[in-house]
Amino acid sequence: MDLIESYREELRLIRKPWTGFWVGMIFFAVILLPWFSPEYYAYIATLIFIYSIGVQGQNLLIGYTGQISFGQAGFLAIGAFTFGHLSRLGSPILINLLCAGSAAGLFGLLVGFPSLRLKGPYLAIATLGFGITVYQILANSEILSGGRMGLSVPKLTPFLGLTKSMSIYYFNFFLFLFFTLFSYNLVSSYIGRAFIAIRDNDIAAEVTGVNLARYKLLSFAISSFYTGIQGGLYALLMGYLEPNMFTFMEAITLFVAVIIGGLASVEGSIFGAAFVILIPQIFSGYKELVPVIFGVTIIIVLIFEPLGLFGRWMKMRLYLRNWPFR
Amino acid sequence: MMKRGLIFFLMVSLILFPVFVLGQGLTDTEVVIGLTTPLSGPAALWGVTGLGAQAWANYINDQGGVHGRKIKVILKDDGYNPARAMANLQEMKGKIFAVTALLGTAVVSACRDFFHENKMPLILPYGNTRMFVDYPKEKLRYIFVAYPDYEDEAAFFTSYAIRQMGTKKITLFYQNDDYGKMAIEGVKRTLKEMPGKGELMATIPYEVVERALGTHALKLKESGADTVLFYTTMSHAALILKEMAKIGYKPKSIFSFPMGDPIMYKIAGEVWEGVYVAAPANSGVPGADREADKVAEIIKKYDPNIVGKEYLGVFGAVSMMYVVEGLKKAGKNPTADTMIKGLEKIKNWKPEGIGAPATFDENRHMGVTGVRIMHARKGEHVPITDFVIFKPRF
Repeated sequence: MDLIESYREELRLIRKPWTGFWVGMIFFAVILLPWFSPEYYAYIATLIFIYSIGVQGQNLLIGYTGQISFGQAGFLAIGAFTFGHLSRLGSPILINLLCAGSAAGLFGLLVGFPSLRLKGPYLAIATLGFGITVYQILANSEILSGGRMGLSVPKLTPFLGLTKSMSIYYFNFFLFLFFTLFSYNLVSSYIGRAFIAIRDNDIAAEVTGVNLARYKLLSFAISSFYTGIQGGLYALLMGYLEPNMFTFMEAITLFVAVIIGGLASVEGSIFGAAFVILIPQIFSGYKELVPVIFGVTIIIVLIFEPLGLFGRWMKMRLYLRNWPFR
Repeated sequence: MMKRGLIFFLMVSLILFPVFVLGQGLTDTEVVIGLTTPLSGPAALWGVTGLGAQAWANYINDQGGVHGRKIKVILKDDGYNPARAMANLQEMKGKIFAVTALLGTAVVSACRDFFHENKMPLILPYGNTRMFVDYPKEKLRYIFVAYPDYEDEAAFFTSYAIRQMGTKKITLFYQNDDYGKMAIEGVKRTLKEMPGKGELMATIPYEVVERALGTHALKLKESGADTVLFYTTMSHAALILKEMAKIGYKPKSIFSFPMGDPIMYKIAGEVWEGVYVAAPANSGVPGADREADKVAEIIKKYDPNIVGKEYLGVFGAVSMMYVVEGLKKAGKNPTADTMIKGLEKIKNWKPEGIGAPATFDENRHMGVTGVRIMHARKGEHVPITDFVIFKPRF
C-alpha cells in the first residue's frame, strides 16, 4: 500500500506518524480497558489474546509457508498438559510456558517430517492423524491426562496489587504483544522470506538456495511452539484440563480463524481470533442458532471478502487515506 | 443552590437505593437467574434441561412469582465449551442473582471458582460430583448439588445384578472419559466387597466420536458375560444394542441413568425392550411417574420445543424448583447469603413430589444422590426398585 524506497523502510513496523498515533491510541485503549470496562470485556479480550498467539502460529504455517495442518488440537493439548503438570509441580509460570511451547514445538518438528514428502490433502490427513493420536493417548492415559477427574491447574496469582482478572488480562496481553512483535520480525527476516518462497514455489525456492527440509521443519516447529504457548495460557486461564477440550473441533476453529482473518497476515491472525471468539459470544443469546449464525457469517465473509478480514481492513484504510478523492 | 443539590442527591439516592439494598440480579419486581447450557454442539440435546428450567420459571411467574417477584431467566448457549461457559457467566455477572443447571463436568470444573469469588449461589449443576468432595468448605458454601454419583451407581448395579438377577460374569461397556471410568471403579469396588460372587470379564471402551460399534459388540460377546453394564450416551446405547442384536448376543443389559428417558424406545427401537435402566433420584420419569407427567404437561405448554424430550425437560424444571424453593425460604428481600441459608433449610423435600427427598444443611450440600432401576416393558420404563440413596459425599 505504501511506496517503499529502501529495505530499511520495508523493515519498519510503523512507517507514517499517523499510523504511529493510531497504534499508540489503540495500545493505550487496550492498556486501560480493564480499568473502565466490565470484567466480561476484559475476559473476552484475554481469550482473544490467547487465541491470537495460536492463530499467528497456524498462519505462519498455512499462510506464510503454504503447509497445511489439521493437527493443531494435538499441539494445543501437548502444550496445555505440559503446562498443567509442571504447574502442579510448583515450577514458575514462565518456565512452564517455555516448556509447553518447546514440547509442542518438538512434536511439531516430528510431524513436519511427512511434509517433506507430502503435500495438500495428503499432508492434511497425516497431521489430522497426529491430532487424533494425541487425543487418544491422553484419553487412555490417566497419568498424562490427570485421571478420571481431569487435571486441576493452579490459576495465576494476582500480582502488583492488581485484581485477579486484571492480572490475568495484563499477563496475557504482554505475552500476546511479545509474540505479535516476534511474528512481525520473523516474517520480515530471512526465515520468513524463505517460508514465503517455499509457499510460492518450493522448487524455485530450492534453486535460489533455500533449504527446503530445514525451513519446512522450522515452520512446523515454530507454528507448534506458538500453539503450545496458546495451550499453556488456556490451561492457566481455565484452571482445569481434560482431553475432551482438545478435539478436532479446536483444530477447525484455529483453521477457520486463519482463513477468515486473512492468510499471510499477522493482523489478520488477530482479526481471525477475535472473529472465532466474538461471533459465538455475541450471538450466545440466540441459543441453538449460534452454529448457523457462525457458519453463515463465515460464508458471507468468504464470498464478499476472499482476502479475509485483513483484506477488508486494508480496503478501509485505503478508502480513508484517499478521502475525499476516492 | 444548596437546596437544589440536596434534591439532586436525594433523587440519585432513590434511584440507586434498590441497587445497593437488593443487590445484583434483584429488583422490587424481578429476580434474574442465569443459565448457560449447550444449546449447540455435541451435547445440544442435554440443553433441553435449560429449556425445562426456563419453562418452569415462566409457569411460576404466571402463578404470581416468588414473594411478588417474577423470575427472569437469561439463557445462553455455551456449546459445551468451558471457555464459552465462563464468558457467559462473566457477561451475566452483575445482572443475575444465581445460576442453575450448569452442565458438563469440564464446564462445571472450569467455572466452579466463579461462584464463591462473586458470592453467587450455583444451584444443581450437572457433572461428576466428585469434583466437590475435596472442595474447600468456604467455596462449597455457594454450591448445591443433587445429582447421582457415577461410581456409586455402578457399584449398586453390580450388587443388584449379583443379588437379584443371578449374575456371575459382568462386562462393562463404557465411554472413555471420567463418566465411564468411574463406573469401572464402582464395579471393582462391589466385586471386592463380594468376593467369589461375580467376576469382571472385560472393560470395553469406546470414544464419543465413534459410530461404528460392530467390533465392540463382538468383543462384548467374546467376553462371555451374562450381564453387561453400559455407561454410554443415548445414541451409543442404541448403536451397540443394535450391533449386539445382529450377532445374536442378548445378555442382561443394565444402562446408566442418562438413558432413563423412555425416548430410548424411539432411538433404539425394539432392541430396547427388556433392558434394565436407572432413573436418577433427583428427578422423575415422564410416563412412569404421575408427578413427572404433570410437570411435563406444564413445561410443554410453555415451550413446545420440549415435546418429545420431556425427560430432560423435567430434569431441568426440577433445578428451577430448587431455585424457587430457595427464594421462598430466603424471605422477601433475598441476598446470596439468605438464599444459601434458605436452601440449607430444605429438609426431606421432594420438588412437586418428584424423585427422592433432598436435604441440605450447613455441612451437607449434596442434597440427594441415588437411583432406582426400571425395566423396559412394552414401550414404557417401569420402576422395579425403590430409590436407592447413596451416602452424600459433601
